[in-house]
Parts: sequence; C-alpha cells; structure tokens
Amino acid sequence: MALFILRRIGAGLVMLVALSMLVFVLLRLAPGDPVDAYIDPSAPLSPTEMAETRARLGLDRPLPVQYLAWMRQVAAGELGYSLQRNHEPVARLLSERIGPTLLLMGSGLVIAIIVGIAAGIVSAVNRGRPLDVALSVPAFVGISSPAFLTALVGLFVFSVILRWAPSGGMRTPGLPPSTGDLLRHLVLPACLLSIGHAALIMRYMRASLIEVLNQDYVRTARSKGVRERWVIVKHAVRNALLPVVTLIGSTLGAAVGGAIFIESVFNWPGMGLMLINAVEARDYPVIMAATLVVGACVLVANILTDIAYAAVDPRIKIA
Amino acid sequence: MANRLRMSRIVALSLGAALSCLALSPAVAQKSIITGGFDVGPGGFPGNFNPMAASAGFTWLSTYYEPLVVYDAKLERVVGALATGWQVAPDKLSYTFKLAPDAKWHDGKPFTSADVKFTIGLAKDTKAGSVFAARLAAVKEVETPDAQTAVIRLSQANAGLMDTLTKLMMLPAHQLSAIPVDAIAKHEWWSKTPVGTGPFKFVKYETDQYVELAANADYRGGKPKVDGLVNRYFKTTASAAAALKSGEVQVSYVEADDAKTFAGNPQFRVVEGDSYVVNYLGFNGDAPMFKDVRVRKAVMHAIDRNAIIASLFGGAAKAASCAYVADHLVPAGVDPYAYSPDKARALLKEAGWDQINGAKPITLLSYYTSPQQVNIMAAMQAMLAQVGINVVPKAVDVPTYNGTVYAPQPDWTQYPVVYAGIQIGPDPSGINVALNEKQIPPAGGNVARVRDAAVTAALDAALAEVDDNKLASRYQDVCKAMNASVPWGSMWVAKRYGVVSTKLKDMVWLPAPAGGPYDQKAQNWSITP
Repeated sequence: MALFILRRIGAGLVMLVALSMLVFVLLRLAPGDPVDAYIDPSAPLSPTEMAETRARLGLDRPLPVQYLAWMRQVAAGELGYSLQRNHEPVARLLSERIGPTLLLMGSGLVIAIIVGIAAGIVSAVNRGRPLDVALSVPAFVGISSPAFLTALVGLFVFSVILRWAPSGGMRTPGLPPSTGDLLRHLVLPACLLSIGHAALIMRYMRASLIEVLNQDYVRTARSKGVRERWVIVKHAVRNALLPVVTLIGSTLGAAVGGAIFIESVFNWPGMGLMLINAVEARDYPVIMAATLVVGACVLVANILTDIAYAAVDPRIKIA
Repeated sequence: MANRLRMSRIVALSLGAALSCLALSPAVAQKSIITGGFDVGPGGFPGNFNPMAASAGFTWLSTYYEPLVVYDAKLERVVGALATGWQVAPDKLSYTFKLAPDAKWHDGKPFTSADVKFTIGLAKDTKAGSVFAARLAAVKEVETPDAQTAVIRLSQANAGLMDTLTKLMMLPAHQLSAIPVDAIAKHEWWSKTPVGTGPFKFVKYETDQYVELAANADYRGGKPKVDGLVNRYFKTTASAAAALKSGEVQVSYVEADDAKTFAGNPQFRVVEGDSYVVNYLGFNGDAPMFKDVRVRKAVMHAIDRNAIIASLFGGAAKAASCAYVADHLVPAGVDPYAYSPDKARALLKEAGWDQINGAKPITLLSYYTSPQQVNIMAAMQAMLAQVGINVVPKAVDVPTYNGTVYAPQPDWTQYPVVYAGIQIGPDPSGINVALNEKQIPPAGGNVARVRDAAVTAALDAALAEVDDNKLASRYQDVCKAMNASVPWGSMWVAKRYGVVSTKLKDMVWLPAPAGGPYDQKAQNWSITP
C-alpha cells in the first residue's frame, strides 16, 4: 500500500509539473496580458506607458526565463506575487482562499452525498412506484441544469423572493464574525452547489442498488428470512456503493468548476472567485498557483478514492 | 423502540439547531450604515485602492479621498473640493489654487500645498504606476508660496487640465514620501492604512467582499450623518440587483433591463444618467477596404440607428452624427446619415466595393460581451449584410481586445473594424487620444490608426484654446470635421442606470462615467431604519 501511494505521489508530481508548463504556455498564447487587462478601452493609455509597466512587471523577459524564474520561486516554497492585488504574495492569497473554498465544496459534497445516497436507496427500493418517479424527475432536472443557472435561480428564489438567506458574501459587513452568521451565508450556496452532484449520485446509487438487489446472494439472504431493511442496508447498499465512490472521487474536479460559478454569483471569497478574477486580469502568478493547487487536490482525491475502494470492497487489493 | 426514540430526538434536536441557525438574523446593528454596490458596473473599479491607478471607481474613492476640484452633481461645471478657489492666467499657463485652511488628513495632520506638490509630482512619475502621467505631462512645476496656496505652471496650455484635476485625489506627503516611488503602486498602504481628507475614514478591506469606512467626525464639511459606509463587491450586476431587492444594499448601478424591474416600486428610485460614452465603429486606418470615405459613409447609411435605439436600447440612447451628442457641441447642418440602404448601396457601387472587398468577411472586433451589446452587433451585421458588407462580430474580453489593438506589431486583419466606446464628457477632449493623428502608437492611444488631417487640426485647435467662450465652438469644428470624413462610424450615446433605496435621504448619486467624481456631499447622506 505504501509503495502504491508513493508511486502515485511521484506520478502526481510529474503531472503537476507538466500541468504548470501547459498552463504557462496556454496563458502566454492567449491574447492580452496583465497590462492589457488593466486598461480601460474607453480611456486609452499610450503604448509607451504600457511598455514601461510591462518592464516593471518583468513581462518583457523571454518566456523560458519567466517560467524558470517562476519554477525557482516554487522550489523555494514561494508562489510569487500577484500582479493585480497590490503585489500580495500568492501563497498568502491562496492560504486565505482555500479555507472558504474547502468549506463551501466540503459542505456541498457532504450534502450531496447524504441526499444523493439516501434518495438513491429510496428510489431503488421503490422502483417504478410514484415515489421513485417523484425523486427521479427532480434528479434529472438537477443533472441537466448548469451550475450558473441553478445559482441564479436559487439566488432569486431564496434570497430575493423568500429572503431566507443573504444574497452573497461570507459575512455580514459591520458585524463581528460568528458561526451563525457564517452558516447563514453558507447554507444557500452549499445547497445549490450540491444539487447537481446529489442528483448524479442519486441516479448512480439507484442504478447500482437495483442491480445488486437482483443478485443471487440478496435473494438468498431474503430466502433465509433476513429482514428486508437488513438485507438492503447490510448486504445490498455496501456493494452498491462501489461505483458511487468512484463517481464521488471523479466529481471533485467538476465540483471545483461548480464552485467557480457559485462563488462568482454569491461572491464567496474562495479560490474559484479568485481564479476567475485572476483570469480576467491575466494575473499569471495567481492563475499558475491556483491551477497547481486545484490540480494537486484532484490528484490527492483520486489517490484517496483508490484507497477508499479497498475499504469499501475488501476483494480489491492495491498493489 | 428506545433506539428509535433516541434517534428521533437527535434528529429533532439537529433540525432545531439548524433551523435556529438559519433563522438567526444578524444582530441588529446599532450603527447607521449605508451599504452599496459602489463599484458595480462600468463606473466602478473593485479591488483598486490606489487612486493614481484609477481609470474608474471615483464615486467610492472620493468618499475618503478628495481632489482639489470636482464636477458638480450635474457634471456640468467644476467646483471646489480641497481648493476653495482658483485663478487661471489668461494664457492658461498657470493655475493658482487657494486651499481649504481647515482641511485635515484623517490622522490629524493639516493638508497643505506641500501635499499638492507631492501628489502632482508622484502622478507625473510613470514609475509610480500613475495613469495620469501623460495627462499631466504639460505640468512644468508646482510652486508653494505658502501652506494654503499652490501654483501649477504649465509648459503649454492644456484644456483638459481641470478635468484631470477632478480625478486626481490628493495624497499625504507625510505618509507616502518614505515609500520608494517604484514600490508605491502596489504598496499595501492603499488597502490597509490609507489616509485621506474625505468625510469617511478607511476601516478595513475584507478581501473581495467589502470595504468598510467610518465617519470622519472632524470633517471640515461637518460630521457625516451616518456612522459608516460599506462598499460591497459583486461579481455580476445580476447579483447586485438581487442584493438591492433583498434589502442588503441600498444603492447600486444596474443594467438597463434590471432597471425596468425596479420602476414603479415605491421602495426604490431609479436614477437615469448619461453614459458620456459614444459607441462607434472604428475603421482601421490601415485596412484598405475602409480607406474610401464613400465606403465609410455607406456604413453609416446602412445602419438603422434609430431602430436599434428603439428596439435594443428601449429608447434610452441618442443617435450620434459625430463623437458628440450634446447640443452645444454639435453644429447646425451636420449630416445625420439617415438610414437609407439604397444610398448605401449606391455609395458602395460608386466606390467599387466589389473590387475593394465584396462579400469577403470582415472581422468586427469588440470588447462588449453583454447580451444587449451582442444583440446590437448582430443587428448591425444583418443591416450591413443587406447592402453587401459582410462583417463578422467577434466579442472578446478586455485583455484580448487590448492585446490585439495594442500589439507592438499590429495586424489590421485582426481588427479591420472595431465596435467600441470612448468617453466624451464631461470633458469633450477625451477623444483626442484615440483620434488625433499625433496619438498613433507609440505616441498615444489612436489604435485604429486614424489619419485625418482635418480632424487632427480641429482637435489641436480645441486643446490649445485659451478662451473658455470659444471652446464649444472649437469642439463643434471637431464634430464638423468628423461628420464630413467619418473616421469613425459614430453610432450613439446610451443612458446608464442606477437604483437608490428610498430609505436613503439626501443621497447624491448618479451612474457617472468612471464613477465621476462629482460633488456627492457624502457627509449629508443618511438612512432611515
């Protein structure tokens, strides 16, 4: 197991370096740079002033030199300085943002897993009945709704019309930080983030459980007189979870994408919002660092998923 | 049974706790605070705290900084802010400002002419990351005969100087002079401990969420009526509109479509303002297909501007025949270029359009990506196609647009024509940088490479005019020259909108270009519970 994990980490590091090179090249190939992003097109600057700014930011150096300089900083434990945000260290920006994002994504995924698995079980057990249909229809709607649409509709319904939750931000301005205030701001974006994932997990769980419920060993358990609830919980659900665990692991990347939309609409001060601002401003150091962190998180999640396989299904051995 | 009961209790308690968290309203604020989306929309500049780097965001910046002079709330004339009065020499080569004797920085130090000299010196220095350097290039020196007098001397007359000074926020020499000039642009002072002279004092910046200010009790204009201001950031204007409707913010810029949803609601007042931005089709001077003036005129005749204004702007725009639409800047007798596809076709035929370009696609580059503007470009595309001009709109983000038009080796095929906007007011000289032949890069921002001797001469004359009474006439000459040679296809000047809660009293707020600044008298703003 240890060897497996070490091997996966080594491969992950190589992939991260490749990812950083790819992102660096793609960013430089994209038209526009941080200085271009800075100019208001309706109030133009002279190219001479722009050239001076470029030189001050080190953007006039050859690309390989810029990449190596960045790599040197990363190797030294630094991630450079933001070109957009008052020259703040990127590491500090990331450390401030990763907490809110993990909180939002974690809450959203926990809600999605609980709701999705529970609804999937209920739906599978009641296959073909009205309850199954009642759960499947919203699941299809959830799967087919893009995250930005879900976020905007949710914002309009729950903040504007019903006024159950604040329309954005993580804290109420002017109030001292409190858990209650944080939860008030968290609950709506987390629930909206969970919708798509919950719907997907529900459908996977339903399909997997229906298949398992038709297996011989389940029929044997029933014929031995084991109570139906026990058959489902003890024998069927555990076996049906395997593809769901795979799904949860692989949806982490999609969760990052969803979080970017949710954070934008709700102005949640996480990495998604920071990344989208950085892309708009062509803030290269922030984009590079945020991409690396997200990439590392997805790699770690995949390794954990592999380990979780073994926990869920003892037949699987990791070599 | 006992287990089930215990489980039910746990579930009930958990649900109760969760519901009480949700129901938990924020503690009733004891202070009166106005919360707004002050940096929402085109007049805002969220995340920028350095006024020397500001191309917008002046509504908010001028709540804690102040310039020497400022526009009045109608954006018509310049009035005093930190300067109580001023005199301009007849040759317009020196400006003498008398400073408010009771003006103080937020740290208690007096505001003096030394601060004026320091600020202008810093703003002229490109190493400081100032966007004012080119606009202040004509400033030769700043003299400080006494603490309350500052004399700005110019090497040549500059009709745009007072407009520039309305946007140049005064900075404290005693706080900033110790910071190296090349480190000042991105110094954390701006977002951590800035000190101004305005009616509110900086408290804190909660990254990407909001900025909080507190009332400056020692403000020379009187203690503000509210305890503080909060500027909430929104990534989208739709989110800001939602926060307005839910009562979380009391003022914000809104899109025209959102403004309609507030109309007639007694809880809100919709504010309509002039954008002071003319939208135009900028013909690339290097593109062979637009070198013939008949082709450019055909474009004007081919586009039914009034139909677009009626259907896509809801009537909230004014058709332009040159860069200006204000009555005093548009002379009588200019050609309105009325919609006439037949005339357009005739002009194209006369110019030999089939040989020049024919039906080959022409990229129409724009940084406008809003649904409204995308629809407008689609409408223009359809109208131009009717007369045989095949434009293909390409809407990109601002960095991509700037990266294309400001490229060191520009390729005109990437932007033979652009759909863009430029500020034309309150100071009408704003178009000079983009239209004067002398401003072709690297000298300036004439990225469309417009080479029009008559327009350049008219602009030069307007900028050098020292008689205020003749200024309007000079800009009429600019309008006339533009109307005759059509270096741009001037389209329209649209309205902008904002929404203010009726809870706010004495609020002077308008969706001004770049956020003003204007004489907003923030110390008088108040809010009813």
